[in-house]
Amino acid sequence: MSMHEKQLNNDLFQPAVRSSDDAEKITKESTSFWQDARRRLFENKGAVSGLIIIVAILLLAFLGPLFSHNGFDDQDTSRTNLPPRVPVLEKVGFLGLDGVDIRGVDQYKMKNQKDNYYWFGTDALGRDQFVRVWKGTQISLYIAFLAAAIDMVIGVAYGAISGYYGGKTDNIMQRIIEILIGIPNLIVVILMILILDPGILSITFAMVITGWTTMARIVRGQILKLKTQEYVLASVTLGAKSSRILTKHMFPNILGSIIITSMFTIPSAIFTEAFLSFIGLGISPPTASLGSLVNEGFKSLQIYPHLVLYPAVIISLIMISFNLLGDGLRDALDPKMRK
Amino acid sequence: MAVVEREKLLEVKNLKKHFNVGKNAVLKAVDNVSFDIYKGETLGLVGESGCGKSTTGRTIIRLYEATGGNVTFEGKDVHGKKSRKDLKSFNRRMQMIFQDPYASLNPRMTIKDIIAEGIDIHGLAKNDKERMERVYELLETVGLNRAHASRYPHEFSGGQRQRIGIARALAVDPDFIIADEPISALDVSIQAQVVNLMMKLQKERGLTYLFIAHDLSMVKHISDRVGVMYLGNIVELAESDELYEEPLHPYTQALLSAIPVPDPEVERSRERIILEGDLPSPISPPSGCRFRTRCPHAMDVCASKEPKWLEAREGHWVACHLYDNELNTENKQQ
Repeated sequence: MSMHEKQLNNDLFQPAVRSSDDAEKITKESTSFWQDARRRLFENKGAVSGLIIIVAILLLAFLGPLFSHNGFDDQDTSRTNLPPRVPVLEKVGFLGLDGVDIRGVDQYKMKNQKDNYYWFGTDALGRDQFVRVWKGTQISLYIAFLAAAIDMVIGVAYGAISGYYGGKTDNIMQRIIEILIGIPNLIVVILMILILDPGILSITFAMVITGWTTMARIVRGQILKLKTQEYVLASVTLGAKSSRILTKHMFPNILGSIIITSMFTIPSAIFTEAFLSFIGLGISPPTASLGSLVNEGFKSLQIYPHLVLYPAVIISLIMISFNLLGDGLRDALDPKMRK
Repeated sequence: MAVVEREKLLEVKNLKKHFNVGKNAVLKAVDNVSFDIYKGETLGLVGESGCGKSTTGRTIIRLYEATGGNVTFEGKDVHGKKSRKDLKSFNRRMQMIFQDPYASLNPRMTIKDIIAEGIDIHGLAKNDKERMERVYELLETVGLNRAHASRYPHEFSGGQRQRIGIARALAVDPDFIIADEPISALDVSIQAQVVNLMMKLQKERGLTYLFIAHDLSMVKHISDRVGVMYLGNIVELAESDELYEEPLHPYTQALLSAIPVPDPEVERSRERIILEGDLPSPISPPSGCRFRTRCPHAMDVCASKEPKWLEAREGHWVACHLYDNELNTENKQQ
């Protein structure tokens, strides 16, 4: 007990100076919502790998065709149905990138193409599959961009007007959406093809007509919820105009939902385009799309599997990575997940 | 408080706010409510949940369009069509403090932008420096410090947020503030902090409050006069001390009997008036006096006749047939 023998006296103490300012002090670093969201997004491994794959595919889609001296529609019957052959990797036997087809015949030697390398092989008309796959990816990415843009412009504006003004306006606008949802997408596309030629334009129009309904509904729901929030009411009592309430109070608070929704619209739009091209309603030859490449390839799936393999892998990668990124963004932007 | 020619700031006359709920069903949230608020006073408004207190406050400040009746602020009609300029000047005079400190601040805005919103809308600052000076001044007025200006609402506690809400309302220099249950979402210790701040501001700036709450003791503490609401009507209105010492309306009596007394001797013998039944639906309220279904003194006349709004004593208004002398003498004659 020797520790307690030491006498306590006033000299041992010092008054703690604590001003009233310190009492309310917050020592934690100030982080905005977006800083927090970014940190959470980058902590998510799935979302980061999705993002990396998307960036890689984006770069390859536009730079890929430059690696080859062939155009996407350069036909040459002397080099039809060549299997893939890649320099260096051709020496690694089990990869199957040595230009030997499934019957064990070196097609490059047979067709006098010993000096050429077609990384993804060639199709039945001798077109360079590598260039065609990336051209097709460009189409898919165009559709992705278009779907997001339509969602952002038409969907958000429609939903915001419907939810904000409410009453009769809302009632009529929602009935219109219900009618649009009631018409199957395929019917709209076929009707478009009757007026326009099959091709990217008719798909674009079909998407403009029907693609934004989910977004409009989600934005409307969010706006309805925010309309009765007390901070919006406070802004009203301060005399704010509708434009101020929408831009300062509503949009920053629904931006998260908008991003998440468009992230999930993108893969489904890409898949719709691929599906339409696959059944022959989409992109018309000689333009390539991932869907039409698969369609051409699957006719000779057992003999030349490379024709299906590469476009199919690319479609899958695009869709998986957009879904992963969308999942990550939802977790990052959802305030309920906030720690 | 002596009744010496007090200046009326706000006059509410037969205010009605009905909501349409489904076909042919009308919810009469506020029905024929009348009261005056004098300059510099605090009028407390109490009543149980769903009796229309908040709706009254929100209708007065134009968040809801009134179904009937009128509200006059300094002799000018508040409702009805107004020019943008009139509306703006009205918005500067009358402000509101909200109930839920977690929902009343925009989570995506910094504190300085939240507080400066009124300054921005009304163009009260010439440049950015002046705007920031005003924000710092307001933060210090409500007991926060400058460093808080660049932070976001989620970094603050409930009491701090409520003070930020007060600073936002003060930014436009209002004369009249409607406080819609400003303390009911806070801890008891923080409630006192916020109420004391509000009383201090009232003294310094000569503010007038309409204080809506359901905490009876807190209302007594802050209010000069208190109005009691039941199912969309005001049933009693009197000076706060008078009302708490001598409640006239049976509903007020029951309500006040629920306040615990901080004296164990008295508390042991305290008798509570327990009301029977539930609050009737405001969609189909009882005929005559709305309180009659739960009133221990209900008479036949209560079902047929709506009670008049009478001054039973000086400055003590009540709507109950028990205090209607005309009616009582009539009964005796029969």
